[in-house]
Amino acid sequence: MNPHHHLDPSTLVSYAAGALAVEVAVVAATHLETCPHCRTRVQDAERIGGQLVEHQQPALPATLRQADLRAAMLERLDAPLPPPGAPTPKTAPYGDDDRLPAPLHPYFGASYRALKWRWMAPGVHCIRAADTKTGTLLMLKIGPGRSMPVHSHGGTELTQILRGAYHDALGHFAPGDVADLGSDVEHQPVTVPGAACICVSALDAPLRFPGWLARRLQPLFKL
Amino acid sequence: MPSDLTRRPSPFGTTRPVPTPTPLPRDTHDWTGDMVAVARLRDRASFMRLYDHFMPRLCLYLRGLGNPEVVAEDLAQEALLRLWQRAAMYDPQQGAVSTWLFRIGRNLHIDRVRREPGWVQVLEEAGVANEEELARPFSTAEDYAEHVHLQRRIEELPAVQARLMRMSYFEAKSHQEIADELGMPLGTVKSHLRRAFLRLQGQVRGQS
Repeated sequence: MNPHHHLDPSTLVSYAAGALAVEVAVVAATHLETCPHCRTRVQDAERIGGQLVEHQQPALPATLRQADLRAAMLERLDAPLPPPGAPTPKTAPYGDDDRLPAPLHPYFGASYRALKWRWMAPGVHCIRAADTKTGTLLMLKIGPGRSMPVHSHGGTELTQILRGAYHDALGHFAPGDVADLGSDVEHQPVTVPGAACICVSALDAPLRFPGWLARRLQPLFKL
Repeated sequence: MPSDLTRRPSPFGTTRPVPTPTPLPRDTHDWTGDMVAVARLRDRASFMRLYDHFMPRLCLYLRGLGNPEVVAEDLAQEALLRLWQRAAMYDPQQGAVSTWLFRIGRNLHIDRVRREPGWVQVLEEAGVANEEELARPFSTAEDYAEHVHLQRRIEELPAVQARLMRMSYFEAKSHQEIADELGMPLGTVKSHLRRAFLRLQGQVRGQS
């Protein structure tokens, strides 16, 4: 898998800074599993973070408290080292056909077959993660050759393609690709014929559908 | 060659000259030697030098993220203790000590404030480069030179870009929060951050 559509640099910066809404971070991490290009760029963003932290000027005089902390640290150096944790087995992403990407496990489980899809609109099924706090995290399954309503987003939409494919004005999106869309983008994804398109999307604000049909669909989406 | 190359010699050999066209930015120091001494020799003096430099900076960072003073101190102590305990895993080719500490501090903070199951696991796994990424052929000296160049680029960022980077890294503000706070359109926030990163990254990755 060699993704052609990547995370926006502004998303990479916020990911590395720990500043993304958790829903968006989960989708970003799902993309990173499959994308060496973006992984390298996250490391760059972390290096920038390290540099920023190192070059702050803590203009604090040494206090008694700091001396205490320093002494406490020296004492802790004598403690025996904790046993090295067993290295987490790195399962090849997507190696097992039924296995969901690891970042999705806490929200959707580990198996595609075990997913409990709910009907949402003709040809569209979804599962919404229950325990997220701020935005929306959902998996979508869109039947082949379907056209989604034209929509834009109040905030950010981040969508990672897991199976199948779709195209829209921005190009062709296949497994491994991520669509990192800002509020200025209005698009109408059309899934390719053949297989259903399965993707995972994070939204940090509600979708906006223009047009009368879309307005009638909006309550169905309950987004 | 400029005369500012007489840095503190590394305990593991002579310092190599770093080709820099203009004087080094303030306070740029190569911690690789101390870190390697901690990793290989469990050298306490080297560790405490790292501690003395990074402890107040990590505290400042963690306080900025909204932690009360005492919590920030606890998290910073924990981060530095992990540096000591896991030093054997340190690979100078993978990045600066500051990058490693930044990652540990950030993860400890996120772990504390967000009770979301996936976050830290996700961050830690994404932070682990695979073998082909580790095989990047940077010598320590080149790495250090990059470090210096990066610092200069940070200092030369346009004011708006620098401000948004700081709000992202030091206050962990989302794009939307930044937009709201500054009364700036969301798209503008993103494009400033995008430009800032690409500007800095050109130096991080050499000529790209």
